[in-house]
Amino acid sequence: MWEESENGLMKQIKITVNGQEYDLSVEPNLTLLDLLRERLGLTGTKKGCDEGDCGACTVLLNGKAVSSCLVLAVEANGKDVLTIEGVELEGGDSLHPLQKAFVENGAIQCGFCTPGMILSAKALLDKNPHPSQTQIRRAISGNLCRCTGYQKIVEAIETVCNGNQAKSKPK
Amino acid sequence: MPEEVRQGAKPLRQSGREEMLLPEFDYHEPSTLEEACAVMTALGKCAILLAGGTDLLVRMKKKDLVPDHLVSLGSIDQLKELKVSGRKVQIGALVTVGQIAESERLGDVLPALCQGALNLGSPLVRNLATIGGNIVSARPAADLPPPLMAYGARVILASEKRERTFALEDFFKGPGETVMESGEILTQISLDVPPPHSGAAYLKLGKRKALEISLVNVASFIHLNGPDGVVDSARIVMGAVGPKPLRAFSAERLLAGEKPSDHLFEAAGKAAADESSPIDDFRGSAEYRRTMVSVLTVRTLRSALARARKK
Repeated sequence: MWEESENGLMKQIKITVNGQEYDLSVEPNLTLLDLLRERLGLTGTKKGCDEGDCGACTVLLNGKAVSSCLVLAVEANGKDVLTIEGVELEGGDSLHPLQKAFVENGAIQCGFCTPGMILSAKALLDKNPHPSQTQIRRAISGNLCRCTGYQKIVEAIETVCNGNQAKSKPK
Repeated sequence: MPEEVRQGAKPLRQSGREEMLLPEFDYHEPSTLEEACAVMTALGKCAILLAGGTDLLVRMKKKDLVPDHLVSLGSIDQLKELKVSGRKVQIGALVTVGQIAESERLGDVLPALCQGALNLGSPLVRNLATIGGNIVSARPAADLPPPLMAYGARVILASEKRERTFALEDFFKGPGETVMESGEILTQISLDVPPPHSGAAYLKLGKRKALEISLVNVASFIHLNGPDGVVDSARIVMGAVGPKPLRAFSAERLLAGEKPSDHLFEAAGKAAADESSPIDDFRGSAEYRRTMVSVLTVRTLRSALARARKK
């Protein structure tokens, strides 16, 4: 499992990112965030505070929203990671419904918090497709946005929930 | 902007990116508790245990801690078990705060603990942070110790040689300091399901609702001798107003044997405030904190009473 390299002891990990399996050799002190951005080139996941306070680096780890700056790459061994790039893939030829809703509702301004916001929202909707506004606000309470004042983000997430409701109603 | 102002301005980040990188360490990943105990004994003080990492990795990035070895507990499934059976609740040290916040079984038997879990950090932190980590870091403002102490929780420490059990309130010595010895691992938190006619509640006061450290927090537990009876026993625990979570013994004595009333609870709140020893800091003054101890004590007692009367 271990091998010597120029950088000391490296560890072999197997990790699934956005449905694709990777066999990688990583330094123990590499965070999952740096692995995604620097090694895999998935720069949609943002590095904000790098200490677990801002939520810009949110990814889903085995379906749960976590700050990827607080996870070692070695700890993600054998686990499933979803990033904003994977969310877009789920949308097929177009954007994912959450991404569309953010664009259409003006929930994006500078955009730096958006990937994290969308992943936190996705974690909520995967578990609970029709959350209350309080549940939405609680789900994104770890994601800071300095532009929008949050209201449009909450509205964007609500339109996706309402869209689901409309679809499930018999015509 | 005038030149002198720009020169005097602080850089946006005082520490550069380089400094936020994690220091180098050797990583160990034992797959059983026995193996973990052996590794911790062999490495001694050069090693730190890694659980959720939400506290440890931040402190390592800031170079507050620079361990030679990290010993991850993440592969030890035994530590991830959460069992509610009969009159016992056993929570493995690696159970996440998010699991506790969302557990319906725990919400039923230990609602104040779930309130504590829901108040910790943010969802992104709760999905990583563990109950064991929140205890061993021994932060005076931590969210889980007050409700756990109010419920009379015990902690189990394992090492290569022996196993020790402590009442949680005897576990803490001061900020960041506990009775744990080198080579020991906190494995489990064990509680009794509270008896009928008992209830507990937790409240946290911060400046905002998420990602917040407690200005003051209080957990109260009361046990009545019947549905409309007098208080048989009470435990009140105050956080962030002393070097470790403090029991409000004088308030508890005031309550014992008395019929619950607003008047009684207010007297208990005042007694708790007198027993707290908060400090002045940039988050709030000692005087404000002491006053809030009284308010939170009254509110948690009311809510605990309502729960006690329902069960």
